Amino acid sequence: MHLFVQSIIIGVLIGGVYALLASGMTMMFGVTRIINFAQAMFAIVCAYLSYSLFTHFGLDPFLSVAILMPMMFLFGYGVYTLLLRRLGKAGPAMALMVLFALGIGAQGVTDLVYGTNTITITPSYANDSWVVFGFQIPVIRFFAFVMAVAVLGAFHLIRQHSKLGRALRATSQNPAAASLLGVDVQKMSAIATGLGFAAAGAAGPIYGLIFPFTGNSQYDLLSKLLTVMILGGLVSMPGVIIAAVFLGVVESVIAATISPDWSSFSFLVALFIVLMVRPQGIFGGHRMQGALW
Amino acid sequence: MTAAPRASRLRPSGLAQAAAFVAVLVVLPIAFPAQWLVNLFIFTAMFAGAAMAWNLIGGSAGYPALGNGAFFGVGAYAMAILTTHLGVGGGYLVFAWAIPIAIGTAIVFAPIARLLLRTRAAVFAVLTITLLFIGQTLAYNLVSLTQGSLGMTLPSPSFPAARYDQPFYYAMAGLLALTMLFCWGVRNSKLGLALNAVRDDEDRARGLGVQTEMVKLFAYCSSAGLTAAFGAIWAYYISFVFPGFAFDPILSLSVILFAFLGGVGSLSGPLVGALLIVPVQQYLAFRFGASHLYLIAYAGVFLLVIYLLPNGIVPSCRQYLTRLRRLRSGPTAPDASLLVSNVTAGKSQ
Amino acid sequence: MAAARGSRSPWGQNPFGKGVTAMRRSHTALLRVFSGAAGLLAAFGSLLLAGPVGASTSSKPPLVVGISMSLSGDFSPLAAPQLNGYRLWAQTVNAHGGILGRQVVLKIADDASNPTQAVSNYQNFISGDHVDLVFGPFSSLLTIPTAPIAKRYGYAFIEPSGGSPTIFNEHLNNVFFTQPAPILSSGNEFASYILSLPPKERPKTAAYPTVDDPFTSPIVAEIQQRLQAAGIKTVYSKTYSTETVDLSPVVAAIVAAKPDLIVSGTGGADAVAEVNGFIQSKFNPKYLFFTGGPDDPSFKNQVGASNVNGIFSTGDWFYQDKTAGNAAFVKAYVAKYGGTPATIDSAAAEAYAAGQVVQLVAQRTGKVDNATIIKALHRGTWPTVEGNLSWNAAGSPNGEDIIVQWVKQQLVPVYPPAVAVTSPILKPPWGG
Repeated sequence: MHLFVQSIIIGVLIGGVYALLASGMTMMFGVTRIINFAQAMFAIVCAYLSYSLFTHFGLDPFLSVAILMPMMFLFGYGVYTLLLRRLGKAGPAMALMVLFALGIGAQGVTDLVYGTNTITITPSYANDSWVVFGFQIPVIRFFAFVMAVAVLGAFHLIRQHSKLGRALRATSQNPAAASLLGVDVQKMSAIATGLGFAAAGAAGPIYGLIFPFTGNSQYDLLSKLLTVMILGGLVSMPGVIIAAVFLGVVESVIAATISPDWSSFSFLVALFIVLMVRPQGIFGGHRMQGALW
Repeated sequence: MTAAPRASRLRPSGLAQAAAFVAVLVVLPIAFPAQWLVNLFIFTAMFAGAAMAWNLIGGSAGYPALGNGAFFGVGAYAMAILTTHLGVGGGYLVFAWAIPIAIGTAIVFAPIARLLLRTRAAVFAVLTITLLFIGQTLAYNLVSLTQGSLGMTLPSPSFPAARYDQPFYYAMAGLLALTMLFCWGVRNSKLGLALNAVRDDEDRARGLGVQTEMVKLFAYCSSAGLTAAFGAIWAYYISFVFPGFAFDPILSLSVILFAFLGGVGSLSGPLVGALLIVPVQQYLAFRFGASHLYLIAYAGVFLLVIYLLPNGIVPSCRQYLTRLRRLRSGPTAPDASLLVSNVTAGKSQ
Repeated sequence: MAAARGSRSPWGQNPFGKGVTAMRRSHTALLRVFSGAAGLLAAFGSLLLAGPVGASTSSKPPLVVGISMSLSGDFSPLAAPQLNGYRLWAQTVNAHGGILGRQVVLKIADDASNPTQAVSNYQNFISGDHVDLVFGPFSSLLTIPTAPIAKRYGYAFIEPSGGSPTIFNEHLNNVFFTQPAPILSSGNEFASYILSLPPKERPKTAAYPTVDDPFTSPIVAEIQQRLQAAGIKTVYSKTYSTETVDLSPVVAAIVAAKPDLIVSGTGGADAVAEVNGFIQSKFNPKYLFFTGGPDDPSFKNQVGASNVNGIFSTGDWFYQDKTAGNAAFVKAYVAKYGGTPATIDSAAAEAYAAGQVVQLVAQRTGKVDNATIIKALHRGTWPTVEGNLSWNAAGSPNGEDIIVQWVKQQLVPVYPPAVAVTSPILKPPWGG
């Protein structure tokens, strides 16, 4: 029983990090209809950058988020404007390929610059943990969760309570109508892409604190993010967050109490079953009519 | 939607081209018998065939299957299990097993395909990826059947060393020709038209009375079976299967790249794509891998293809040649089909 | 307009529709493209045949060695030191006049950790470039499909990193694994050590987590079998897949079982993750053994220098070994690649040993062709940095690996006593 609860705690904490990454993809998808196949790789790029900032300047990874998020926002904005915008009508399918190619290229660069050894970012508090009611809570994972919640909260505030947010929501619901009302759809798409990449900028350093990583880690992370997005319904932020935490918990509980070999498998089977019953995912709206914020 | 002229089904020039293609396939290892070249032909034929098989579901039906590597792995393991557990023995006879493996895979996959095809686009794509990982996990965990992470070795046949690769090449080339014939047959039948209808607007097609369920199922299952056959021969050639190698996400994506490069909806597109990329990729890894530029070069080729040849090579070539022919034959009355093509190609951007 | 077809899918307009309907039946185009592609193929063929430019000033032809290395892909982090070892050997032997007067030239190709590419690389080396010799690739997984190719053409397959039982079960007489012991026996000495402890000090319970790959699970299984037979109770025995990044559920389950001894099958990064996990859980087992990881140069930094003492591992090579040519190797490696002797990865020594073996054959027989190599290596012992190597008919080496332990923040051999630098210590609490 103790192990069961402990594994749930582990799952929820890590689910927060996946939720952050996946919500960036969801936000971008809602407005642009493009799934960012490079999200995982650029999270890892940010982990590498945070590692460099830490080893050369002693900058704490949590603090480096403040630098990396705006940087990644600008990068994402640029990626959309320069690369994705010109793909035109066949955009989403081609964009997938373009982004994936970008991810592969980025991996080539990190392999070249940092080598292919796995590294972790290890500040002094790396292995500290608290004991709460007999359950141990690693400090890093706890703060990672807090950071994820904070950034998600900020995104939510932007979407619900700002002019920009209203424009973003309008674009995702009906681009034609939005443009008729004076919204610059292309600019909204670029901003949404920027925000998506910014989420990677926030999640990357935290990922690098928790896990040993290398360029090749992107594939496993990407497949987790994709499954979370689909399960969550592609456009729904609450859905994606719940799906991410669900993923974390299922994998953690099965790995601890039954067998680690079958943990990913169990999640995939659960995914299959859910999608057979509800092809639009847990919270997916009917054919993109109205995002569920 | 343009109706493809059905009268061309058995044009003499079509037959001649098919004969020429088969002749080239047969003569290739005779003209270039060096083993390293035959090795290259083997893998090129394999990727080309797998890409054409993908095209059935991804190109003709328009369902983005990102996990065809799952079928490749199933075929590979089926071959490994047959040769090991049933002691089918090493030799020429083993090649024949590719056919029952293909048919078996298609049949066993049918109920799963049925479920998968209830979803569309992005959901479908991600489910096919999970299929790949499910297959890999099963290969790792069903240890009594697959020996798990130790992998399985296949018996090496005792072909003479100087021409060892040739029988494997002919098996792959034979499968490629078979795949091509199959795809051509599908294209020129009502089934092909139905698939195109599904790709262009599935709901409308169903409303018009097209049997979308059966048609999609057929396309996906045959894609699965053909891909499995290539996996089976691959396993025999490499003589070793391991879950991480047999169920390979990179292969799933490579076949899509070849199809896109060559032209997704065209018959020969995937073949052309594979012909161009596979030797290049092997060359890059062989000569330049030592400098880590391999991944960057791969990404560069990818991006170049997408931005310079968005339709793929074959359709682009055809358009180009058609325009040339039009220029040569002088100004004529506007061709209705050309107008249609201009409109549907979305010239408005 | 996309809006008119909005009922279809989240991708809006059919993503594959663009351009497809503009097709014509232009068979001429097909033939032209096809012959163009065939032409390209032939062109690449001739390019492939042109080898790299190698400067050779001696009058004798160079001794060309083809090696397929995992420079990208899953195995690449572990393979890089191996390349260093090969290059250092080539440089060293060439400085002393080469082999039988011939300068050694290494031809390196990337196999992207992929068997298809590895097979192609060796085909290209042997039947395309006609190299003189080949060395094996990184990892048993790539050695298994490529060794038969070398055998087919009568090439010796001296390989530094394929020690899985599957290879030796193939009974190829051209394979020679340049480490002292095959993977299966790597853990033997540790089991012997545990069983040699007096009953009061012996662990009563043991946990056996391992990653599911052919390099580690056989070792853990062997140890588990021996210890269980001697009465040590198994309280945890599970495998996790190689893709597993988050090991905290595994750690939580182990901690819940409270074992005295943990025998963990690890590749490297997971050893770090597990140690960190145990520290975070404030769990300190009496005996902690990892099959791989503690011998990585970065291990100390990644878990914290004050946490390493008492951790056991096993290995085939350590810089303190007094094996043939080792002192010179260590010195030359540090001079060429930097770092300290403690940061040299054993993969470098394994590769270096492969080269030494060839040198020795040349010295002892005066010849260096494949048939001579294969025949010679099946007899006698061959002193290298990896120890005095000898093989059985299937290429499996006849020696034993060494047990090492972190003592006073240094990794030193501690068992068997004959090679021990110091005696094993009891595991102190974390941070001590």
